[in-house]
Amino acid sequence: MRENLAEREVQLEESGRGARGTRVVVDLVRRPWVRALAPLVLVLIIGLVFNAHGAFYAWGTHRDMLRQVSVYGILACGLTLVIISNGIDLSVGSLLGFTAVLFSLLSIHRAWPAAAAVLLVLAAGAACGLVSGELISRFRMQPFIATLAMMVFARGLAKSISGGEKVSQAVLMPDGTPKYLDLPHVFSVIDSKVLGGHLAVVTIIFFLCVAACWVLLGKLRWGRYLYATGGNEDSARLSGIPVHRVKLLAYGLSGLLSAVAGMCQAAQEQQGDPEAGNGYELTAIAIVVMGGTSLNGGRGGMLFTLLGAATIGYLEKILSINAVPEASRLMLTGAIVVAAVLFQKVRK
Amino acid sequence: MRKLFVSLAVLGLSLVAHAADKKYVIGMSQCNLGEPWRVQMNADVKRAADKHPNIEVVYKDAQNDTLKQVSQIREFIASKVDLLIVSPKEAVPLTPPVSEAFKAGIPVIVLDRRVTGSDYTEFIGADNKKIGRYLGQWIVKTLGGKGNVVELKGLMTSTPGQDRDSGFREGIKGSDLKIVFEADMKWLEPNARKEMESALATNPHIDLVYGHNDPGAHGAYLAAKAAGREKEMKFVGIDALPQEGQAYVRQGILSASFEYPTGGDVAIEKALEVLSGKTVPKEIVLDSRVFTKDNVDSGGEWLK
Repeated sequence: MRENLAEREVQLEESGRGARGTRVVVDLVRRPWVRALAPLVLVLIIGLVFNAHGAFYAWGTHRDMLRQVSVYGILACGLTLVIISNGIDLSVGSLLGFTAVLFSLLSIHRAWPAAAAVLLVLAAGAACGLVSGELISRFRMQPFIATLAMMVFARGLAKSISGGEKVSQAVLMPDGTPKYLDLPHVFSVIDSKVLGGHLAVVTIIFFLCVAACWVLLGKLRWGRYLYATGGNEDSARLSGIPVHRVKLLAYGLSGLLSAVAGMCQAAQEQQGDPEAGNGYELTAIAIVVMGGTSLNGGRGGMLFTLLGAATIGYLEKILSINAVPEASRLMLTGAIVVAAVLFQKVRK
Repeated sequence: MRKLFVSLAVLGLSLVAHAADKKYVIGMSQCNLGEPWRVQMNADVKRAADKHPNIEVVYKDAQNDTLKQVSQIREFIASKVDLLIVSPKEAVPLTPPVSEAFKAGIPVIVLDRRVTGSDYTEFIGADNKKIGRYLGQWIVKTLGGKGNVVELKGLMTSTPGQDRDSGFREGIKGSDLKIVFEADMKWLEPNARKEMESALATNPHIDLVYGHNDPGAHGAYLAAKAAGREKEMKFVGIDALPQEGQAYVRQGILSASFEYPTGGDVAIEKALEVLSGKTVPKEIVLDSRVFTKDNVDSGGEWLK
């Protein structure tokens, strides 16, 4: 981070000089990773200035930030794949709610073994994603509409299987007396910390998701197919790329990752709330775009999304430790997001 | 399409009701079933109504949409229900349809939130400000008049959030309690956990956390537990739903939960009185209870 600050100083210094200096700055600013880092640096500087009596310097604050942003980050991983393929997935928040409820029902109420519950929930998430993918690629529905429909449907599904109530350890018997079920071991494992309490397990899960998607996008054939399909679908098809299956892959993985996020959410809340994840899709999209992945498809990457997640996470955390009132928070968030994205637009 | 279907169903039900004679149809207009407390309200209505075979309750959920609730009330008027229970989303926009129903000769019981004017039969609701005040006094007593308190507020643009805040502040007035951290968690547990982590990071010692609802207090507990500091402080919340607040008190997570009664059962009781021709008071303020570890199994203690 310090290196980057130094680089920015160099930029500022050099921008005052002649044509050669300007070109260096332009080259630097053109690099996508510089543009993705800039908003994060901006937010971190705000954090250093408003450090809430030193709370910003404590590792615990950073660990908590990473825990808080993990669920959004996992959703953003799936969305990165979808957005690179020139689509959008609005259903991730609802799928999170649905899978959180399903996971809680199976683990808490039915006491299923962890492995079976996890597998079934992952399959359910992936299946919903595949349905969206099928609607988009085979039936040529607009991604916006198809996933909007899935968003509404999955929320209904969550409410239906939960009976509209939170699925928790307390179960009301027909005579009105409550009964208490044990918290499944898998819940406490997901909501614990590792490395001597310095990192939350959900953050590890988030990093693993980033790593897996990074390998897919950067190292595997199917990753290149995603970029090609997003860049220009027709030429991708003409060059023999199985566009149909590429799209199924993108939305299927987005559904799968929503299920991962749903399980993390349920474990952290110790319950399955049918309203969980309401509006999370917008934060997840903001993370992807903040990182610099283009909404027009074909351009972007996982590490950008990681930077975007850190930016959004720190922004929320800094506002929170300073106990900024809600109204100012909303205005500041809006303003800082605009400032950050504007900086990314700087080309010349 | 759904609306049409529901109206047809209501129409069908009222026809059946007329055929069987003496069977009353009550329309229940709920503003939002996305909240557990309102799910509980409908459940309370249903439990009370199930005891009376001569009434049939038809439920409509406006899904937190004011205009949808306005049209749903008009649908109830059109299908000529015998009585209407309305739990309005907002006072002003829902006053005209409630007034229309009342003028059309349908008795209207307004539940929880108010409408303006006086074109309704009876208002039933609890007083958030009063509950906040009791809670404040309870905290002063429990902490011996001093200590550091974290307040995690409900949506501060909503009346319940404002009243639970102002009542609480009235209740602790004159004591040496210090509110060391306050934040708006918008009634949501994940937000409460997030804000509580910040409160823990910026405050070395906290004596009590007041959540404007029980999920908020529970979220704060989870944050404190993750930081290994849950023994240092007490947690208090409002609502006391059987499977939420009361359960948390039983499990020793919350020290107290203050009931915000739904009034669903009272509404059915009063509906029957109205339908049998009795006159009822224009306004009923529901009493509420406090649940602590000592009294939760015996049904809580009424607040006086």
